[in-house]
Amino acid sequence: MRSLLQPLVAASLSLVLERAALAEPVPPPDRYSFFVHGETHAELFQSALLPGSYGAVVRRDTALPVYQYVLLEARDQNIARQQTGLDMELAAWSRAELGSTTAQAPLDGDVQTANVGYHRGPLVLRLGRQHVAGGAARYSRFDGLLVNAQLGGDFEGQAYVGLTVLPRWDRPSYTYLGAAADSDLKNPALSSGTRERRDYWLGGARLGWGTRNVRAGLSFHEQHESGGLSRRTLTLDETMDLPGAVSAGASASAELEAERISEARIWLDAAATPTLDLSLEWLHTEPALFLSRQSVLSVFSADDYDEGGTRAALRASERITIEGGAWLELYTGSRPGARSELALRVIADRSGSTFVRLAYARVLTPDNGYHTLRSSLTRRIMARLSGTLEAYAYLYDRAIRTYRTSTVYSGTLEYRPIPALGLLWGASLVRSPYASLDAQTQLRVAYDFDFSTVRSTP
Amino acid sequence: MNRRSALEYCGRAMLALVMAWAIACSDHAVARFPHELHLAGIACGGPGKPACLTCVSCHSPGTGAQLPSLPPVGRCASCHHADAGRLRAEIAAPGARPYGRIAFDHDRHLALEGTLGQCVSCHSGVVEAGGPRLPPMSKCLGCHEHEAQWQRGTCAPCHALAEVRRVLPQSFLRHEGDFMEHHGTSAVQQKKLCQACHTQADCEGCHDASQDLSVEHRRPEAVQRNFAHRADFMTRHAIEAQSQPARCVRCHTIESCDSCHLARGVSGGLIAGRNPHPPGWVGSNAGARSFHGAAARRDILLCASCHDQGPATNCIRCHKVGAYGGNPHPSGWKSTRSETSQMCRYCHD
Repeated sequence: MRSLLQPLVAASLSLVLERAALAEPVPPPDRYSFFVHGETHAELFQSALLPGSYGAVVRRDTALPVYQYVLLEARDQNIARQQTGLDMELAAWSRAELGSTTAQAPLDGDVQTANVGYHRGPLVLRLGRQHVAGGAARYSRFDGLLVNAQLGGDFEGQAYVGLTVLPRWDRPSYTYLGAAADSDLKNPALSSGTRERRDYWLGGARLGWGTRNVRAGLSFHEQHESGGLSRRTLTLDETMDLPGAVSAGASASAELEAERISEARIWLDAAATPTLDLSLEWLHTEPALFLSRQSVLSVFSADDYDEGGTRAALRASERITIEGGAWLELYTGSRPGARSELALRVIADRSGSTFVRLAYARVLTPDNGYHTLRSSLTRRIMARLSGTLEAYAYLYDRAIRTYRTSTVYSGTLEYRPIPALGLLWGASLVRSPYASLDAQTQLRVAYDFDFSTVRSTP
Repeated sequence: MNRRSALEYCGRAMLALVMAWAIACSDHAVARFPHELHLAGIACGGPGKPACLTCVSCHSPGTGAQLPSLPPVGRCASCHHADAGRLRAEIAAPGARPYGRIAFDHDRHLALEGTLGQCVSCHSGVVEAGGPRLPPMSKCLGCHEHEAQWQRGTCAPCHALAEVRRVLPQSFLRHEGDFMEHHGTSAVQQKKLCQACHTQADCEGCHDASQDLSVEHRRPEAVQRNFAHRADFMTRHAIEAQSQPARCVRCHTIESCDSCHLARGVSGGLIAGRNPHPPGWVGSNAGARSFHGAAARRDILLCASCHDQGPATNCIRCHKVGAYGGNPHPSGWKSTRSETSQMCRYCHD
């Protein structure tokens, strides 16, 4: 795979660098944007691992976790004019456990994205922690390099390679499959031992083509893990905008190692009239192909299932919208499943500051199902103060831990003295099969700093 | 808990809704300025009557990114003698600006031939029921060709970039229909367009399953959204996983399932773990009837959430070559893998 990728990347680079060199730079004013967004969350609740390991009853513990989220983003606005530029993105979160004495990790955190992009004409290089989404990649996070280039003739190319970002690689409570913490309880000799980060890598490429109304692409993604191939996927995707505010699309993915179609999807979105939106969708999936090729269970099943569904939104009046959707799942050799939802959205006052939503949903699976009723209210109480209230009720077809229902009540109040600063207080009460009473409260402070500049090029 | 108490809970939920509705319909919210009344509903111009108002009686069109200025308090006081100060304060409160600030030269547009100096050609909602108070973007694109910027996802300088990210698109890119189901395809086909409003961190907000705080906790005020893990997901998670097999593993790894199950004693990796399966799930000998095979064929991902421990997977004990569990491969099974590969050797050693 590496031997295939290297010449591909090299050829793409040489082609686009050549094109970039031919591009005549036009010197408009240089514009940058630098944007910082932060969120501080503080939560307060009592937690208990119920029922606890092996069904043990454990004592409750007051938890006061404080989370800090930060996003720093810098963009050279002139990039869109095909000039040279740099951009940067850093997003990270951290958690400090102030209340609990039994928390497994009093301090925790992770870097979500940290990358630098270099733009030169039709070429974009991005280095660092990032993700690639859609197509064969589905949603893959990696530490590595991504190259994107306009190839001319409405074609676009993309290639990427890097080390897979595994979910919380070193998290204390995280157990990877086959690890000693998991498997040595049965047979220590079978433990897969320690994992080396270098054994987890991914790479892929995509060739896309697009005009104003039609877009299509062929993408390839290969991912490896300790032990060998995790997946090797080829995907074809296509969307088109049709006359009459209709768009249609399709995608199909094949798992090359298994030589089978892992997923195929067709959809149609239509704004049939100014007051009616209608969507139709069909999905075919073989679940076993979403397992790693190193999973022994991946060779235990080749059953697939189909899902067909529709969603509609009718704007009955200026203030009332009725939404509905229904999906039917057909499994091989099993009774079908279904999901449906009907919702009413109302702008409840003339000023447009109060919004009410009432929704009923029904889910049926071969083993269980539930009814749910959800009512929501959003209200702008004063110019800078808004609030929400919500109530949920779930009624399960079959008892879960001997309980048939869950209820949830929640509310928020948000004060925004200036557009760049928001203070939110929220609280919720839950009664569920897992908690006779779950009360939580949280405080959120969100703030933005925008250092965007407009200045002339020297 | 019986069905009767379940209905009581539903009743409480309905009660909460009715109360909410009652509050909503009290209509005490901040009222926007009654433009129609002032422009067309006041007897004016005659003897003893006030002068007729036009838009520019109160507003001085702004230029660039400036908004049209609001009238001084004295303008209100000419008619509203007693409470002019309060009224001025109310109308000065920031209204809903769904598009954020727009860099727009009102003077230049008012001078255009098609506008004829009339504000209502764009702000028709000021005097017409149902019309937009602020023009939708389609109004701009009726005259301006922005196809190239659209394709590149260039919103600035018309839109203030930082504000674009805080607002929802009104007339373009509304993400209507079943967009959320297939937004991944859009993300790869129109990357630049997406990046005009969204950062990669926005995607991570939902897709990064390893963060402690879920998007539902980060955005509790987004009651209009159907987040995947809303409201007591813990209880429903097995139903949701069954409802759409393979949906969970788009964000979560199988290790995520097993780590949590292991901590709660329901992982197949534990010797004395609790067994959630019904009697007869696994036969006690080669001839015994069992139910687990059909369930495994239908949704193997559900099995994997507890029973995928690599070489320690307990399925291997019965299903490896020579054991009494029989051949687990589905009929017509074929693979390009060599039987000497590490995974195959778990059973074919």
